[in-house]
Amino acid sequence: MTAPTEIRPPEVAESTVEVRGSRVRLLTAGTGDPVLYLHGSGDLGGWLPAHSALAADYTVIRPDLPGFNHSEPRKDVGTISDLAFRIWDLIDELGLETLRVVGSSLGGWLAADLATIEPSRISHLVLVDAAGLRPAGGHGVDMFVLSPAEILARTYHSQPMRDQMVAAAGERENDPDAFLLMLRNRAATAKLAWNPYFHDVRLPDRLHRVRAKTLAVWGAEDQLVPVECGQRYTELIPDAQLHTIAGCGHLPQLERTEEFLAVVAPFLAS
Amino acid sequence: MDVFGFGLMPYRDVPQAHVDSSDSSWVTYSNANFDPQRGAEFYNEYLEEYLIYDRLGFDGISVNEHHQTSYGLMPAPNLIAAMLVPRTSCRIAILGNAISLRDHPLRVAEEIAMLDVISGGRIISGFVRGIGGEYHSFSMDPNSSRERFQEAHDLIVKSWTDPGPFEWYGEHYKFRYVNPWPRPMQQPHPPIWSPSQGSTETVAWAAERHYTYLQTFSTIDNIRKAFKLFREATDKVGYEPDAKQMGWSFPIFVADTDAEARRIAGPHLEFLFNTLIRMPKDVFYPSGYLSEASAARIMASKSGLGTSRTTGEYLMDNGFAIVGSADSVAERLTQYQSEIGFGTMSGMFQFGSMGIEEFQSSVTLFADKVLPKLKAL
Repeated sequence: MTAPTEIRPPEVAESTVEVRGSRVRLLTAGTGDPVLYLHGSGDLGGWLPAHSALAADYTVIRPDLPGFNHSEPRKDVGTISDLAFRIWDLIDELGLETLRVVGSSLGGWLAADLATIEPSRISHLVLVDAAGLRPAGGHGVDMFVLSPAEILARTYHSQPMRDQMVAAAGERENDPDAFLLMLRNRAATAKLAWNPYFHDVRLPDRLHRVRAKTLAVWGAEDQLVPVECGQRYTELIPDAQLHTIAGCGHLPQLERTEEFLAVVAPFLAS
Repeated sequence: MDVFGFGLMPYRDVPQAHVDSSDSSWVTYSNANFDPQRGAEFYNEYLEEYLIYDRLGFDGISVNEHHQTSYGLMPAPNLIAAMLVPRTSCRIAILGNAISLRDHPLRVAEEIAMLDVISGGRIISGFVRGIGGEYHSFSMDPNSSRERFQEAHDLIVKSWTDPGPFEWYGEHYKFRYVNPWPRPMQQPHPPIWSPSQGSTETVAWAAERHYTYLQTFSTIDNIRKAFKLFREATDKVGYEPDAKQMGWSFPIFVADTDAEARRIAGPHLEFLFNTLIRMPKDVFYPSGYLSEASAARIMASKSGLGTSRTTGEYLMDNGFAIVGSADSVAERLTQYQSEIGFGTMSGMFQFGSMGIEEFQSSVTLFADKVLPKLKAL
């Protein structure tokens, strides 16, 4: 889950772009080379402090994924790979030739898939606690049987952060617009990740095609997508590196923003 | 009125700790709690109860499909129907083959046709999507539920009515040869029932196709609403529905006096509604199972069937269950019938925890004193 949208700074532009017949909502800020940020399943469409920090050096583009938040669902999207082709359509529509991609959780899975489709067009790939691979013993947590509050309690490692986010989820139940977005995103996630659960059995056999410089950033205490998946990504993607953040859960860009930026910013600049 | 007798075949021997907890009886309630010896006793008792409906002159018996739960030990209702066919002469309503959950819906077309032919045309074929928990138990994306239901239904009906072989090339099912043997006895096909808790889409769907809409456990207000919707939908299509197209399924218990009936039925109803049907809301209504508008309404509500505790009193006072002496049960049903116009009832005389003696006493009183009055309606 993200910080509320109302903290979005004034320099962040909201726009809508039509891509092959459906509308995609974008938040954009900054100047310079493009960085595409692909959000996770619990993201309610907000702009994060980490985005602002990256926008100091880059044009940060944060779309709502088709079917999530305010981007229209598409009939032709039933899997993450389907979605990856639609994101390439978006990238083409935006006229970007090469770009850097940062993806979190479900968005990290999408980013990895994206990088196998047109490997030469992604220069830097950052996988943040990315879904997409199956832990050797299976996923311990099934988010689809949990309530939003139960998921949040497993998303963050630090207790104050957990308490804050669980309380925010409680308040959201009284905000019909936010509640509807949460339900919409859960349904959109179910469509992509119900079975196989948050992974693609064929992805491991495609990851050798990735040409981007790749960094996997992981919360060492991630309960939803264990750090083992980060290790596996770095084994499967040529020359990839893993950076784990101690005492951090599933969303380091939110839970440990400074440490996240301290490793991601130099990587993107390299 | 057509009167059916119904039962879910629950597994009633659940530990008190489970009854007292808030743990789900679906998806995750361990089958280590199932004792095959007790299971055998329950099955045989429930089968005997079904046969009693036939012997007492009911129009039919209803069986039902549920998976991976103590709520009902009938994952394959067609198997139970097959056991009843040679031992009964009444109709057998399979209240819901959960066709969306099937990888190959033609299996349903074949099984129903077999039962229909062997029974000499006594089968009623209900179709359902399967309830939320079953999308967890089958690891099936709930988003696909409605589309799969629709397509499986269309395929099954076409396989019964159009000469094969033909090719089916749909979104969810692609079959080069559709040519099931046998074809059903009843022409053009066995009656189709559509059981639901009252979703607007399902009510309209059944009405448009001239099917029987069967309203399941609800308050009497919701039942009024559902049948009003049904009549509006048939109006729109341009026909006057047969009363028998409006069915109502509910728990029912009859004893010598109202007070005794309520005293006996109360705890059994609480076991059914508080323990057997219990599951967390996010399991009952998995992401994508409901339309966005329905999800927003249902998920925001603090109470709901199976997701919050209720009392026998509440269930008996609000139409979820009809409980009382034969006279008062007959009076209430007659009154509801004249007010709401339903012409089919599926009475659930076994809630789960009732012994066969209690069941037999209730159903016999009903058959002697209530059934003749209802048949005359």
